[in-house]
Amino acid sequence: MKLRHACMATCAAVLLTAPAFAQDPAAAGRIKIASGEAFLIRDGVETAVEAGQTVLESDGLRTGDDGRIGLTLEDDTRVSLGPNSEVRLDSFRYAPAEGSLALTMRFLRGVAVYVSGQIARLAPDAVRLETPQAIVGVRGTRLALRVTP
Amino acid sequence: MTGARRVLLLACLALASHGCATLGLAVSERPGQDLVALLPDDDGSVGAAAVGNTSGSTDLVVARQATTVSAGAAPDQPVVLDQSEIDRIFGAALAAQPPSPRRFILYFRFESEELNDGSLALVQEVLRVVREYPLPHVTVVGHTDTTGAGALNVELGQRRANAVHDLLVDAGIDAGAIDATSHGESAPIVPTGDNVVEPMNRRVEVTVR
Repeated sequence: MKLRHACMATCAAVLLTAPAFAQDPAAAGRIKIASGEAFLIRDGVETAVEAGQTVLESDGLRTGDDGRIGLTLEDDTRVSLGPNSEVRLDSFRYAPAEGSLALTMRFLRGVAVYVSGQIARLAPDAVRLETPQAIVGVRGTRLALRVTP
Repeated sequence: MTGARRVLLLACLALASHGCATLGLAVSERPGQDLVALLPDDDGSVGAAAVGNTSGSTDLVVARQATTVSAGAAPDQPVVLDQSEIDRIFGAALAAQPPSPRRFILYFRFESEELNDGSLALVQEVLRVVREYPLPHVTVVGHTDTTGAGALNVELGQRRANAVHDLLVDAGIDAGAIDATSHGESAPIVPTGDNVVEPMNRRVEVTVR
């Protein structure tokens, strides 16, 4: 009986807390500029993206023929895409007080510009920019990348 | 033509043709090839980047220096691209770059959520930037010095953040675009011991993105 009580309490706790997590995932960044064919990819589902939308860890962004996207992350990192481009935000952790910092972006195709933010300033080694053929490490800077699959 | 002068001329020609060849290689677009270029920051300073894979690595340290990388090979010898080449290849992505986030620090009177006079003037500058940015989002973080109890300082920091939040909303900024939180005494600008009066730490940091 005691065990059952404990179990019920645990289940109730899980039920009460789980929706809070589902509804309130921390925003990794916000779309500032979106024009033409511009899409957000979340959990494998692609939807048209608009300026003002929030972007989460694990999201992808893709543009079509005339598309452009500009994104500002919570640590001030900025990423923008030209046409026919795609990038994934594989990891994003920005909690300087807890010493938890990570930024991994994967550039899959097209052209992009990356501008370093606070994560690169506080912990340069926590930033990892990947292209199909290379990994780029940054020391506080702005980069332009072109990926031709 | 003297021997020395001939050597110099040959060296120049070799350099020029080498430069052209590598420049052409960098800008021609080939399937399976990536191009990485280092650009100056907004303030004109130039950082550095290391481009590598399992076959090797190369450093970019000069403005507009770029390297190409192909499958199964180390990154190519870097070359410096013309600005016109940067614009031609990356122009669309450069045009979509959001403006640089701006940070402001507002200071408060002792044990109070009242801004000091200089900071009241700075609020006008914050408002100007918020109105100028595309879809601005504003984070407002309150801080205190170490006078008094930690928990109370979290509350004081929050009251300071809320005071700035209300100033912005009263000036017409959308409340939904502002996050106001407190770090209490945990993130001082000037590190001090406990119970130390430090005006520099009594502040709200406002970031406009």
